[in-house]
Amino acid sequence: MALLEVSDLRVSFDTLDGRVDAVNGVSFSVEAGETLGIVGESGSGKSQTVFALMGLLAQNGTASGSIRYDGREILNLPEPEMNRIRAEQIAMIFQDPMTSLNPYLRVSRQLTEVLMHHKGMSQRDALDESIRMLDAVRIPEARNRVHLYPHEFSGGMRQRVMIAMALLCKPRLLIADEPTTALDVTVQAQIMDLLKDLQQEFGTAILLITHDLGVIAGSCRNMLVLYGGRVMEYGATDDLFYRPSHPYTRGLLHAIPRIDHDGAQLATIPGNPPNMLNPPPGCPFEPRCDFATERCRTQAPPLEAMNDGRLRACLRAPEELA
Amino acid sequence: MLTFILRRLAIAIPTILIIIVLSFLLMHAAPGGPFSADRKLPPEVLANLEAKYDLDKPLPVQIYNYVKRIVVDFDFGPSFKYKDQTVNDLIASGFPVTLTYGFWSFVVATLIGVGLGIVAALKHNSWLDYLATGTAILGSVLPNFVMAPLLVLLFTVYLQWLPGGGWEGGQWQYIIMPVIALATSYLASIARITRSSMLEVLNSNFIRTARAKGLPSRTVILRHALKPALLPVLTSLGLSFVGMVTGSVVIDQYFSTGGIGQHFVNAALNRDYSVIMGVTILVGSLTILFNLLVEILYAWIDPRIRY
Repeated sequence: MALLEVSDLRVSFDTLDGRVDAVNGVSFSVEAGETLGIVGESGSGKSQTVFALMGLLAQNGTASGSIRYDGREILNLPEPEMNRIRAEQIAMIFQDPMTSLNPYLRVSRQLTEVLMHHKGMSQRDALDESIRMLDAVRIPEARNRVHLYPHEFSGGMRQRVMIAMALLCKPRLLIADEPTTALDVTVQAQIMDLLKDLQQEFGTAILLITHDLGVIAGSCRNMLVLYGGRVMEYGATDDLFYRPSHPYTRGLLHAIPRIDHDGAQLATIPGNPPNMLNPPPGCPFEPRCDFATERCRTQAPPLEAMNDGRLRACLRAPEELA
Repeated sequence: MLTFILRRLAIAIPTILIIIVLSFLLMHAAPGGPFSADRKLPPEVLANLEAKYDLDKPLPVQIYNYVKRIVVDFDFGPSFKYKDQTVNDLIASGFPVTLTYGFWSFVVATLIGVGLGIVAALKHNSWLDYLATGTAILGSVLPNFVMAPLLVLLFTVYLQWLPGGGWEGGQWQYIIMPVIALATSYLASIARITRSSMLEVLNSNFIRTARAKGLPSRTVILRHALKPALLPVLTSLGLSFVGMVTGSVVIDQYFSTGGIGQHFVNAALNRDYSVIMGVTILVGSLTILFNLLVEILYAWIDPRIRY
């Protein structure tokens, strides 16, 4: 049994302009200790998928479908029960370390409160454990720095604090929502290395959301490609990278800048992601797809298994995409 | 921090001097004077009076003498209209009254205003939010000169629970209506500021982090959201407090409470120069003082602010 099984997850928001369907029937699973990468452009539903998982949707959002954690249905659990899963079982680190820590509280307080609440530790034990965790995420002189305020840390250090905070209760699943997007490139690499090391040390499964395919290639066994709130392609990272079978995956891979790039314009996928207030009736990628046919405009492609075990949603056969 | 406070107090001195000079000039620019009356005074009498009150000298000399007397003797001069009373006497008798009902108004407006604002924000777009927001709007469209007669109509005329005016040394029956009348509009604006600031904080990333940590919502709100949500409120509280302990012109007029607001209006109408100046300096100093107090509280609450 997988640690996390998401099936047919749908998330929609009631807005003043109407109903926005952000996630439309997404399914995937994460095994204990593995890393699953979720890629997609902004607005593809990556973040809302994991917010639904944590029960952190905005007030106007509703989620349906099924999310099973360790065999137990956790979608739309009442808040007190969800609070026993958050941090203890599933923890999350966010995109923007500059604003994700409370600027008015000392780092020590923000760390110890997790342990004191979930593990019933005393202040002193919680502080010792917090310092150990800051050491584990390689914050130098953690014993002195633990009493500082977040603004006294750099961006990379703050993200380390966030990671330490998320791992305090040794959760079995860590959701990392674009953990390196707001950081500069050298720090990005350090943070990714750190996550990998910690994963080995604690055996944590990681759900890694990113739009950096390089990060996925380096750290995820499986990957999920989302577009317009739907799964486009889902399978082993190696298969998807070497033999992309979906026009969108191909477009994404083609758009990675190469080191031997000759200086001409960077490759892009022309057009914009669909407006989710009024999504296209057929395949969401159809307006931007080079291989689109008349059928793609009206008929949403089902997610079907291929011989190598991957799932893809495209009406055209892989051989036809040349 | 201490140097910051001392520096700010040092800057306060020239600020107050500028207030004095500007009000002095404005006051004298207004037509008429303390001794203009329907019945003209004989020129000799007028000359004697003006000599007695220093009014025959050029304005710069008057200002210089005025400031010197304040600095040396802390004497704000005699009232021009109330015989045998000095400005110090008038403020000493009026200010405690204003301070009393101003303080209670401040307490009422802050506690209820912040409370309503927080409830409205936490129950965003529910009937409780609409009730609290509605109360706040109602309060802001009822200025004290409308509230005062309405209160008297209800509590004095119909219910006959409370006396319609007077002070009587500040017994509680006499304080209630001035406090309600004065607090209402401040309460409304405090509630509105609290609500919007709380909503903004509740939607911020660090509150999402706190929720993701599985903390109970009580802890999330009290420990993580309250402090940042109250910062903008604090800014308005400083000025509201000064407004409430000084800007009570209507209250004093309507309830005959005898605070300094009453003197302010009468003095302006009577061209009672020394009283106008005294009250202006009092209000100016309090404004400076409370702005400083707010800034100190800011630094105490927000660790990113250091002076």
